[in-house]
Amino acid sequence: MLEKIKKYRRLWGVLIPYLIWIGVLFVIPHIKLFGLSFIDYRSDEITLGNYSKFFSSPLYRRVFLRTGIFAIATTMLTLAISFPTAFIITKILGKTMKSVVLLAVILPYWISELIRAFAWMVLLRETGVVSYMLQVAGITSENVEFLYHNGTIMVGLIYTSMLFMIIPIMNSLDSLDDSLIEAAYDLGGNFWSTMKEVIIPHSGPGIMVGSTMVFMLNLGNYVTVTLLGGKNSLWFTENIYNQFIVRFNQNQGAAFGVILLTFSVLLVWLSLKVTKQDMAGAM
Amino acid sequence: MTQEIDVSVVNLTKRWGDFTAVNNVSFDVPKGSFFSVLGPSASGKSTVLRMIAGFEPPTAGEMYIGGKRINGLPANKRPCNLVFQRLALFPMMNVIDNVTFGLRRRGGLSKTEMEKMANDVLARVDLKGLNERKINQISGGQQQRVAIARSLILDPTVLLLDEPLSALDLKLRQEMKLELKRLQARMGTTFMYITHDQTIALAMSDTIAVINFGKLEQVAPPDVLYREPATHFVASFVGENNRWDNGKVVKIVNDTTCQVDFGGILSNARMGEKLSPGDVIDLFIRPEMILLKPGVSKPGSTGEIKEINFDGSHSLIVVTLTESKVPLEINVKLQHTEETPEVSVGDTVTLSWGRSLRPAANAFLHIDRPSDGEE
Repeated sequence: MLEKIKKYRRLWGVLIPYLIWIGVLFVIPHIKLFGLSFIDYRSDEITLGNYSKFFSSPLYRRVFLRTGIFAIATTMLTLAISFPTAFIITKILGKTMKSVVLLAVILPYWISELIRAFAWMVLLRETGVVSYMLQVAGITSENVEFLYHNGTIMVGLIYTSMLFMIIPIMNSLDSLDDSLIEAAYDLGGNFWSTMKEVIIPHSGPGIMVGSTMVFMLNLGNYVTVTLLGGKNSLWFTENIYNQFIVRFNQNQGAAFGVILLTFSVLLVWLSLKVTKQDMAGAM
Repeated sequence: MTQEIDVSVVNLTKRWGDFTAVNNVSFDVPKGSFFSVLGPSASGKSTVLRMIAGFEPPTAGEMYIGGKRINGLPANKRPCNLVFQRLALFPMMNVIDNVTFGLRRRGGLSKTEMEKMANDVLARVDLKGLNERKINQISGGQQQRVAIARSLILDPTVLLLDEPLSALDLKLRQEMKLELKRLQARMGTTFMYITHDQTIALAMSDTIAVINFGKLEQVAPPDVLYREPATHFVASFVGENNRWDNGKVVKIVNDTTCQVDFGGILSNARMGEKLSPGDVIDLFIRPEMILLKPGVSKPGSTGEIKEINFDGSHSLIVVTLTESKVPLEINVKLQHTEETPEVSVGDTVTLSWGRSLRPAANAFLHIDRPSDGEE
């Protein structure tokens, strides 16, 4: 026993900062939230009322459903844009162009999400750059409002999270030996069959990691969604924010938080099952 | 008798900017033969292969497979298949799916038909009962066979092999070398094998094309290549050789033979190219073709043993020639038989060569030591 402890002592030493980090910032707040969600905020009694309120209110349910569907759709769109981008960067571009394009992809992430959302607002608002350009070009004669549409929210979310899709896919494509692609061609494969049978299966783990991260980021996004979608963007995080900050109902907010977390964990688990991967393999 | 030609390459050239990787190469690969392209690394041999396979477009020249011109034809439409250096098996598929990959691309066959064909070809490469295994669950030699089966199932006119044995360890490489040759003989498919390993090329091939700095040096059967190298490079690259620089041609003996002089030591040599008396030449002498006798006797040159390196079936003996005016050293490969004389360092011995019909020594016009390292 003592031997074993000695053996792993060094390992524990390395792990301790991480464990403190996870404990303080993740485990303790979530236990607290979980506890809060079962307490009535007026009487301090244990109750399921916070959850039943969610399920009985069509507004909350619909906002939740809308958020979920939008998050999934946005993740898919992000994947559709990021996969070709990652493929071009890793497999097609020469050394110099590769660094240039990669830098172009990473550069926007050097500034905060808030500033990036404001940048979109400068471009898309009624008196913004895009509207002005359209008028100069004579396509329209009036100011056009591009903000506060569903499409705008999606564009903002894709822009915010694309890097987290591109990097893991690039990693997985980097490890794909080019001769596998050549072999597929040599044996009579064409672009699509090689994609389907060789390239995509190989980058499956990268796609899974990217999709999981992007999905979580989308689901939990607040800043981009609120700024580009306006006060009525009807994103579920907004409900959580309102409960905590506007109504001071921590308990209701906690219940919403737990519901959101449960949903995302379930969905990630399900998609790993469907694609026959495990979390360790995907990561 | 005219032989049917499976692969024909005419004036093939590949340039990248100023660099010429393949320079005006032409050769024919007879149907059903084992044809090797041998050259040191970066000699352009792989580029030749990649052009035939369709992965690089040639800068100039023509390529034909089975009489049809294949220039411009995409890789997936060419009647040849490539076994890659690192095999390039699909790790995401099991053995049977790897083997049927090409058939699935062609279509028109049912799943059972494809599996039957796959089992047939796997049986021919001696690989049974591993159909469901993943690629990383089988050994290096088995992977080799899967890679060959995966190509052979498509019944290509020619199978291109890009040094697939080089990834294996020595023992397995020796085994697979023999097996590959037997397989080729059994299947009758034309094999075109790219390698930098001359022992593999000599052992397996019907014909070898030697290529260096993108230029074709010689195309010949292995024994001809070994005994009668056509160029200075082939003489130094293929097989072990003693090399003496800066000798002089004394006289021309007949059409193929001349007499050369190194510091007073006269020697007969086969003329690798056209020579005339007075030419400065380099002489190549095969270490195993030298006859070694203890003591002083005639004819021959006397010398003193400097080193003996025992190597099991033979010893490599370094002899300093005492008759010459310039210091000359020569390696002698002494086969161990019952009649092999016992010698030790410091002994005086007599060496002779070039007395049999097989050329032991080859003479070429002198060139300064080229940078092409032997491998």
